Amino acid sequence: MQVLLGLTRLLSMVNAALLGAGRVLGTACVALMVIFILVQVFYRYVLGNALPWSEEAARFLMLWMTGLMAPTAFRRGGFVSIDLLVGLMPRMVAAVLQLGLLALSLVVLVVGFRIGWAEVFGFGGRFATDALWLPTRVDLSSWMKVPRGWAMASLATGITLLISVNVELMLRSVLQLFGAGARVPEIRDQITLGAE
Amino acid sequence: MMLSFFLPLFMLFLFLGLPVFFGLIAAPGLLLWLNGQERDIVLLYRNVYNGMDSFPLMAIPFFMLAGEVMNRSNITLRLVEFSQAMIGHLRGGLAHVNVLSSMLFAGLSGSAVADVSALGSMLIPAMEKQGYTRKFAAAITAASSIIGPIIPPSGIMIIYAYVMGESVAALFLAGIVPGILMGGSLMLMVAVMADRYDLPPATTRASWGHRGQASLKAIWPLMTPVIILGGILGGVFTPTEAAAVAVGYSLLIGLFVMRTLKWSDLPDVMLRAGMTSAVVLLLVGAAMAFKTVASLSHTPELLAGILLGLSDNPLIVLFLINVLLFIVGMFLDAGPAIIILGPILGPIFVSMGVDSVHFAIIMAVNLTVGLLTPPMGLVLFVTSSVSGLKVETVARAILPFLAVEITVIFLLTYIPALTLTVPRMLGFIQ
Repeated sequence: MQVLLGLTRLLSMVNAALLGAGRVLGTACVALMVIFILVQVFYRYVLGNALPWSEEAARFLMLWMTGLMAPTAFRRGGFVSIDLLVGLMPRMVAAVLQLGLLALSLVVLVVGFRIGWAEVFGFGGRFATDALWLPTRVDLSSWMKVPRGWAMASLATGITLLISVNVELMLRSVLQLFGAGARVPEIRDQITLGAE
Repeated sequence: MMLSFFLPLFMLFLFLGLPVFFGLIAAPGLLLWLNGQERDIVLLYRNVYNGMDSFPLMAIPFFMLAGEVMNRSNITLRLVEFSQAMIGHLRGGLAHVNVLSSMLFAGLSGSAVADVSALGSMLIPAMEKQGYTRKFAAAITAASSIIGPIIPPSGIMIIYAYVMGESVAALFLAGIVPGILMGGSLMLMVAVMADRYDLPPATTRASWGHRGQASLKAIWPLMTPVIILGGILGGVFTPTEAAAVAVGYSLLIGLFVMRTLKWSDLPDVMLRAGMTSAVVLLLVGAAMAFKTVASLSHTPELLAGILLGLSDNPLIVLFLINVLLFIVGMFLDAGPAIIILGPILGPIFVSMGVDSVHFAIIMAVNLTVGLLTPPMGLVLFVTSSVSGLKVETVARAILPFLAVEITVIFLLTYIPALTLTVPRMLGFIQ
């Protein structure tokens, strides 16, 4: 039990730190997305000169925003589900069901992890994006096209973080089963999210 | 053949409490694996990624951000003052003000939850102070908040348009009359109840001078829907660009014109919008994968066969589908329900001759009303937390308004002109 408690506390700390960094980067992505599209509107409609890169750069940022922020939402209970049945069950049965569902989620995520990183480093990931360039020298004399793999890594990274959260939630469920759930710090800021 | 089981399997997962995102992938993925189609699981993953990698979809984080900025800027106060100056003198004045404010707020945010949080915290105590019961105040706040996702801009309309390949502009336009009709019907109900329960007026009739002043103060937020819709319809902006402009505009008025927004508020506002959008975008990506498997499995055709077996009269089938949607809405929020059911039900009704935009509005309005119904009504939960009342109390108090909204759903179902006239007049549908 002590090992389990220690492991859960450790993973909880690691996740809190990783997801905190993810939220900061994700917030920056949101800000940059807005700036890029407003610049695009300004250039197209005021200066009459369409920018070739703004749309793709904003999409790139949106993908990273999703990959970096969705794991926080998952950890805080923000993934939409129907928890009516769980709510009606006795506590122990509900904890077993919860554990089973998390195990199923983990299978989905592990399959996604394997495919995701294979895609990033595979043939498709080596193609270049259409209009995104980065300087490779500080004097800006040399540039490279951003590989598609960098955008594809957003989902793979998101899945990797989701796996880490999923394992933490499973450990918490096991502790709950053994009546030791209260001995690990609660996840703060539980949320309900939706487009409604 | 095995693939046709993916829908029952998905429903089982959902019923057991698996998050919708995982269910959308696990059910078809498991059956593809059992069917020996491992290579197609890679395609499932690619569909999720490609489904998220979309410029039109970017309108979702932008509209959410614009709504958050408006909310944090206390723009709601100006809308309420404007509504009060216009109709506060009517009997049941604050209840009318509540509905009108929701209709105006709907033009800014497109979110029922934002509406309840913003207006509820202000209007429920104010109504109580004027002699309304708290449960009545909470009920009308909740009931009118669902106009948010119906009047444009609307997060769920963008999701529907993207998943089903419809025009965002057409759906936005199609939502205008239903939203106004919903608001008007609720005000009618308030008027009836005001006479019956002797509800007080909020203020004496405002002078035209006072009304002019209130209008001037509210002019900045009220211009937002004009900029969004005007920009899209005039061909100036794409919906995504319009959403970004709405963010820029709301920041401008919050930070510099009204000066009610602080720079230090911005990180939190962006974080909230980003996190909500991230969940929605993942769901939409998973829905694109789900949609591909749905069409491969011929599920829509199978369901169409079952539905047409019950009746081949589209009016009866539409009635049945409204009942089904209402039941689904009791258990699922509108966004996920649209993502799951749109690709399955949409093609059936289009093949029966129902206009795709008309069906989109029936579905969106019905599922939005579902936000008010227990046991899983998102708006009910938020209203309960804002008002401090039990969910059951709000759910009971809301019943007269719910009856009105169900009537509106059927009006929209059987009078397509209510939905289609505006987009048709402006040339967005034929």
